[in-house]
Amino acid sequence: MKYKILKALDIAGLQVFDPVVRLCYGEEPKVQLQKIGQFIIIPIITFILFLIFWDYAGPRHTTKSGEVPTPAVVRDAAVGVLTFHERENIKGEDLLRSGPQRDAALAEVEARITELEPIAKTAAAELKETELAAREHLKSSTAEINALYRAKRLEFRDAAKERQTELKVLADKTIDGTEADRVTLLEAVAADRVQSAAETEEVQRLRDERSAIENAKYPPLIAARQTSNALEEELQFLRKRRDFLTGENRDLKITEVETKLAGLESDLASAADGAAALKIATSIQREQDNLATLGESTYSKPWTLPAQIDRSVRCVFVGFIVASLIAIPLGILCGLSRIFMAAITPLISLFKPVSPIVWLPIIFIIVGGFIPDPSDSALLDIFNAIPGLAGMDVNPAFIASALTVAMCSLWPTLVNTALGVASIDKDHLNVARVLRLGFFARLFKIVIPSALPLMFAGLRISLGVGWMVLIAAELLSSSEGIGKFVWDMFNNGSSQTFAQMFVVVFVVGAIGLLLDRIMIVLQRLVSFDGAPTAL
Amino acid sequence: MSFLELNDVSVGFGPANHRTEVLTDVNLAVEENEFVAVIGFSGSGKSTLVNLLAGLQKPDTGSVRMSGRPVRGPSPERGIVFQNYSLLPWLTVQGNIELAVKSVFPQFNAAQRREHVARYIEMVNLTPATEKKPRELSGGMRQRVSLARTLSMQPSVLLLDEPLSALDALTRANLQDEITRIWEQDRRTVVLITNDVDEALLLADRVIPLTMGPNATLATSFSNTLERPRDRTAMNHDPEFKHLKAEITGYLMGLNREAKALRVDQAIEMPNVLPADFSTGRREPPKAITRRAIAEANAIHNASEGDETRNSDAA
Repeated sequence: MKYKILKALDIAGLQVFDPVVRLCYGEEPKVQLQKIGQFIIIPIITFILFLIFWDYAGPRHTTKSGEVPTPAVVRDAAVGVLTFHERENIKGEDLLRSGPQRDAALAEVEARITELEPIAKTAAAELKETELAAREHLKSSTAEINALYRAKRLEFRDAAKERQTELKVLADKTIDGTEADRVTLLEAVAADRVQSAAETEEVQRLRDERSAIENAKYPPLIAARQTSNALEEELQFLRKRRDFLTGENRDLKITEVETKLAGLESDLASAADGAAALKIATSIQREQDNLATLGESTYSKPWTLPAQIDRSVRCVFVGFIVASLIAIPLGILCGLSRIFMAAITPLISLFKPVSPIVWLPIIFIIVGGFIPDPSDSALLDIFNAIPGLAGMDVNPAFIASALTVAMCSLWPTLVNTALGVASIDKDHLNVARVLRLGFFARLFKIVIPSALPLMFAGLRISLGVGWMVLIAAELLSSSEGIGKFVWDMFNNGSSQTFAQMFVVVFVVGAIGLLLDRIMIVLQRLVSFDGAPTAL
Repeated sequence: MSFLELNDVSVGFGPANHRTEVLTDVNLAVEENEFVAVIGFSGSGKSTLVNLLAGLQKPDTGSVRMSGRPVRGPSPERGIVFQNYSLLPWLTVQGNIELAVKSVFPQFNAAQRREHVARYIEMVNLTPATEKKPRELSGGMRQRVSLARTLSMQPSVLLLDEPLSALDALTRANLQDEITRIWEQDRRTVVLITNDVDEALLLADRVIPLTMGPNATLATSFSNTLERPRDRTAMNHDPEFKHLKAEITGYLMGLNREAKALRVDQAIEMPNVLPADFSTGRREPPKAITRRAIAEANAIHNASEGDETRNSDAA
């Protein structure tokens, strides 16, 4: 058991937890504890230090979107993103609920609303009070400095006036005066200049001090505002739910149309003349069309971050698969034939360093050429029919992003596959010759298996590159996904969306890490020589 | 006409003006079910010889024939056991042998194939390791797998290219016995390439030394009439064995001396450089560094060396 766990950890590239398992089995506790300290505790401490630094440094930089968010703010933003996602899901479900389920949900919503409304009201009142208190607080806290400021300003104004009159006297003296008088005047003017500058500075300092106090956060107000906002948001959500469970509920609407239809049909049976019958029949047809549309209608949910993450991951896999389908066969051909390799090397060398930012617009236009009308395109229908892409709303932007990913990520696989195939052991080829294996038997039994470890090393790099490229591609092409989310948040520019961009950093990092781990496991499983893999 | 023949075979490499001949005018005739050992120093072209026999390499001149027909390429008829095993590391023991069986006996169904593979794994005593990958096996076990793979193709000629030279002495002895046992059970034509006189005498009917390369060729063969079954310990005291061993070893050592003597004298004339003399305070080069001085020094040096060679020749 122990060795099975250890083996699994090894294959998954999680050797870090190796000492934990060994410690649980009581193997050399001292050594294991030392290893845990070295490989688990120290990284954790480093991460905590990083958080502390971030927490300290962040708020010290103020931007147009408020201060750089602290870890706590980012955590709250993440929770906010998730709450939004959950609520949108519930709304979508509500619209489709019917029968007793709908009744139960409605009752629950109503109960919650009645429960929340008074609380929200109190919170709003409290907020108002706190706002007043804050104003009072501000007044009282700035009173002193304000008084000082005013006093100083008056004092300085008077002083300046006094100095002016003195200067005037001195200036008058210079007329018909001596050289000494003129020197005295010049000195006095200079002194006045210095004095004024000092006074201006003093006033400015006081003003800064005052605005610092004014801008200082008043924690009770922030707390009250947050509570009130949260309650209001929840209430708004509940009210929307109530609408979806009552007036806008699909099932209710369908029933309504059905009763209308039944009425019309009975009207048709008892129609007085042809003209009336025709009119009723037309209405029936219209209502039936209406019913058909209703039957398919769902809540058009806005894209939430989890849904966008889902779409991004699928997009990167589409690109990755396309890249692999191109790169692996080409790589094998390159490895097998020196002529082919020589033929294709210039293309590889030329296109490999091209940035995704260049590929994307080009690919976008080319894809657009294939899909002149996105609302009615056979190509898009094919994509949408692919299992795993259903409901992902495949559009030209999605395809362009995926192809950009493919274009940028196929090179490592191509090069590594070529290398793997070209560096196959001569002895293995001799075995194939002695056995008189045909071309395909040699390819599939000898060449590809021996190239697999390098091929997978290439695929792993490709997937990593693809994931990085994808975010940029989505951002540029406005394909719904993580990149689009970042762009939207950037354009929104509030302090909350600023924090959500930080959430994205961690999401993208975590998913990239996960994808890499998956590839490591695959790479380990195909590598036969037990060679260690770089982590 | 012999079963397996090499007729005036020469192999070389490099462009015509700078050609290195590996094998020159090699003639070999192996009778059916004969066990022949080719023995030679490393680098003398033994592997080239085996590649020729297997058909992995084509002779530049001369011909390789088997049962009278020229050999045009590698074939499962001439099974080869490589020095470094050449097992496919991603396949198990079973998989490695099965791959060979599948391509040589395509008519077998799954059950027959399994049975066939199992028989040969059994033959080399590896049944417990059937599902292991090559890297989980020791060198000796890997070579057994390689042997089983080759035997499973049921070749009419078995070519063993230094199969045991990468193994330690104990494993080597063990596998020699194994090879003997298998050959006794299932006699066929074997060509063993080796650099070990004892091994050759233990296994083969005939031992043929390969002269030193380049331009290596096969010398006259020594017929090994030691009675089978041969026992490695008892054999050491057999006067005939001792005699044969001494004769072959002596012959090979003679080759070595001859080769050294034949080697072109490539003494490079070194400039006679002396350190600059700074003690006198003058920065002029000392006399010895002038061109004439060097020529003189060389002349003296060469003359004395020539004397030495003559002296050693006389001795």
